[in-house]
Amino acid sequence: MTATREIVTDRREEFAFHDDIVYLAETKRGLSRATVEEISAFKNEPDWMLQYRLRAYEHFLKRPLPTWTDGLDRINFDNIVYYRKPSEREEKSWDDVPDQIKATFERLGIPEAERKFLAGVGAQYDSEVVYHSVKEELTKLGVVFMGTDQALVEYPEIFRKHFGTVVPAEDNKFSALNAAVWSGGSFVYVPKGVEVPLPLQAYFRINGENTGQFERTLIVVDEGAKVHYIEGCTAPIYATESLHVAVVEVVALPGSKVRYTTIQNWSNDVYNLVTKRAHAYANSTVEWIDANTGSRKTVKYPSIYLRGENASADIISVAVAGKGQHQDTGAKAIHLAPNTKSRIVSKSVSKDGGRATYRGQLKVSPGATNVMASVRCDALMLDDISRSDTYPYIDIQEDDTTMTHEATVGKISAEQVFYLMSRGLTENEAQNLIVQGFLEVFTKELPMEYAIEFNRLVKLEMEGSLG
Amino acid sequence: MTLARTPRATTARAVRRAPADLPFVFADRGLVQALAAERDEPGWLRDERLAAFAVFDELAVETNQLYTPYIDLRAADLFTVRPFVRTASASTASGDADADAAVVPTGTSGLIELDEDGVTSIGLSEGARARGVIIETFGAALARDAAGFRAELEGGALLPTTDKLAMLTRAFWSQGVRLSVPDGVSLDEPFVIRWAAGAPDRALLTRTFVRLGKGAKVALVEDLGPSRRPAATAATGGQSLFTGTLEIDLAADAELRVASIQDFGPSQVVLQHRQAAIGAGANLHWALAQLGGRLVRSRVDNRLEGDRSSVEQVEIVFGSDEQLFDLTSYTRHVGRDTTGNILSKGVLLDAARTYLKGMITIDKSAIGTDSFLGEFGMNLSKKTRSVAIPSLEIDQPDCRRAAHSSSVGPIDETQLFYLESRGIPPDEARKFIVLGFLEPVVARMPLEDERERLRDLLEAKWNAGLESAAAA
Repeated sequence: MTATREIVTDRREEFAFHDDIVYLAETKRGLSRATVEEISAFKNEPDWMLQYRLRAYEHFLKRPLPTWTDGLDRINFDNIVYYRKPSEREEKSWDDVPDQIKATFERLGIPEAERKFLAGVGAQYDSEVVYHSVKEELTKLGVVFMGTDQALVEYPEIFRKHFGTVVPAEDNKFSALNAAVWSGGSFVYVPKGVEVPLPLQAYFRINGENTGQFERTLIVVDEGAKVHYIEGCTAPIYATESLHVAVVEVVALPGSKVRYTTIQNWSNDVYNLVTKRAHAYANSTVEWIDANTGSRKTVKYPSIYLRGENASADIISVAVAGKGQHQDTGAKAIHLAPNTKSRIVSKSVSKDGGRATYRGQLKVSPGATNVMASVRCDALMLDDISRSDTYPYIDIQEDDTTMTHEATVGKISAEQVFYLMSRGLTENEAQNLIVQGFLEVFTKELPMEYAIEFNRLVKLEMEGSLG
Repeated sequence: MTLARTPRATTARAVRRAPADLPFVFADRGLVQALAAERDEPGWLRDERLAAFAVFDELAVETNQLYTPYIDLRAADLFTVRPFVRTASASTASGDADADAAVVPTGTSGLIELDEDGVTSIGLSEGARARGVIIETFGAALARDAAGFRAELEGGALLPTTDKLAMLTRAFWSQGVRLSVPDGVSLDEPFVIRWAAGAPDRALLTRTFVRLGKGAKVALVEDLGPSRRPAATAATGGQSLFTGTLEIDLAADAELRVASIQDFGPSQVVLQHRQAAIGAGANLHWALAQLGGRLVRSRVDNRLEGDRSSVEQVEIVFGSDEQLFDLTSYTRHVGRDTTGNILSKGVLLDAARTYLKGMITIDKSAIGTDSFLGEFGMNLSKKTRSVAIPSLEIDQPDCRRAAHSSSVGPIDETQLFYLESRGIPPDEARKFIVLGFLEPVVARMPLEDERERLRDLLEAKWNAGLESAAAA
């Protein structure tokens, strides 16, 4: 019990700062064809990328705003700064990162984390990646971990072969927006048979007010290779909205294993609209471990397309929706090949008027024989001003699929709280512990330092409502 | 409006249709006027129809965005259908016991049978008549109690005003049935309402009201099947449309058991709306069997308004050929300590499809709710498709239970093995398992005859499926 109390010291103030930085370059507020051309020119990109961006921009204009989830019409696309460049180039040595930015990430604990146990670290500040490092022995094995912009220059062949193949620009309005103005993000390539023993990690930080962050991450894991990628994100609190529209593409080639972990802790004025999708080829395993505690509104359904025989998908999605927040999250597993397996587990907590929505899809296409699939959604509501929704779509087009789906919604049991209080916990501590236990399916998948960090975030979200 | 739409009638079949495009063109303002004039209806009723038409004209076929990806009306081809407009008037209030005896089967409390031309038989048991029960057509209700009937009908009654197809029926119904059971009347023997339809290129649009007074307890069998007119067949090409409502109002502590068998012909398009307002302490039980039709789109709304009210809904689908069953169920908990138990089961052969959409809504006022939604499917052929969308929208966490569950799987091999090890041939064993899967609805049929008839229908459909599989 003592350990629990130590874990949950409040450090929220430490993330809430922002830097008064002078940007080396930024686009004017709002989005136009000229903005797109300007971003591409800043980056000195090949013409095919400029043309790709412009096509995506046209599609973004044409595509209506989704209306199946509410509140997106509150985003003022004209008031966003789409590109802000804080640093001249991507540094490989921490010492070379500009002092002010370095100070920010040190306050967030990034170099500390690297020293401890990571195989590589990347850090993105507003639009650009400012720092990337990967351990020397991995470099020797041919593992590539760098900013996506840099990869376009250094690995044009792998880049062009896979970029936009998993999430086409035309997939949805926000994937089109990302494709038009993308900047930064991580590029990972793991060669055949290489197992990366420790997690690769990226930190994303929005600093400027009304800033849009549009990072683009592309992970290609070659045959028989293995990697774990972790990302975290923070932003200072402004009274006006910021926009985070990312696209993540994962290509898991035959026999590979990829785990992608996200701890999303944007401040409560960020709209977080992310398209994450993986293609899983024969005998590969893809895992999305996805947690959302921050942002005003998150719309994100990590997806896995099971394209090769015996591929397997595992998605754990957890969400905590507090005051003024709507976590519209979930998962998708699309079975396109025989003998594929998927498991989706979703846990959500809503409180203080927050709304947690699970939206998911499970599809078994014709030809995907002998599929095993399961979906489990549990929701905890801590009060009666909050809301919980569950919208699963299950579409089975084969005759030998085995699919099960279960969902429950409930509140914290008074008996459990009473029991813990009789053991000396305060009511707040008891409820906090029960929520942590409810989310354990997620935390137990994290490296220990992250589990501690995540429990701390949950505790922060719980503060005030129960104390 | 008639003129503007007519060209679409000829081009609609030639061009590629979107899944949510309306499959008919008869519904226009002129037809509303013609209906009201032909039937000599009072001004308020014409206005009621026109109000419904105005809403119908505005709405999209599916207004719930959760479900727009799963709608498909393309199997319906009703561009040449003409609706029946003539009405019939009949009532047990004006009949007598002698006439009744001739038409009311033993074991029932009353009966009304209708087809495209009107009422073919109507009557009440002696017990029901003595207790003040009335079965009547809408025409008779209007003549008997114009003001009371107007109050019931005006504004759309229980039909959801955001549902285009419900508004279609509200605007264009030609036949209506009303069953009213006074306070405290309890009858063990069920009432029977039998609708027959199926004339090619014709549409029959109907409504049914069921009103139970305080503490009343009755059972109702709804029988939907082909008419004696030359039926629409795949060969004639002319499909037939039937739309039907069941608008149920249960006063406090009332109890109603509804059992329905839908066994229309293979060229029938069926649109159903069933709405129930359930008062304090009242209980509603649905046992619904869907077997027939080319395309069936149905919606059930259970409103648990009164404290301690409850609903149990069990629906089975047995689909074959290219049948599509698009079934939506909304259960809304409003009162305290209400209970909902919704179960849908589908067995699919050949290239049959089901879209099972279920929504449980727990309002903030609904403290102490117990709600369960289950959607289960058995795909028995590679071309089948089962879609399940079981959803929850919850504003009150203080509940006994709020859960849903869903599964799709083939016939359980271990069950098959068990039966075969007892000497049952594989085909028989498969039949037992499938019919057993559907048995929960069969067992809830309140009439022995109906129970046996449903068993026979299911078995016949299974055997036909086996033959077609053997032929293929």
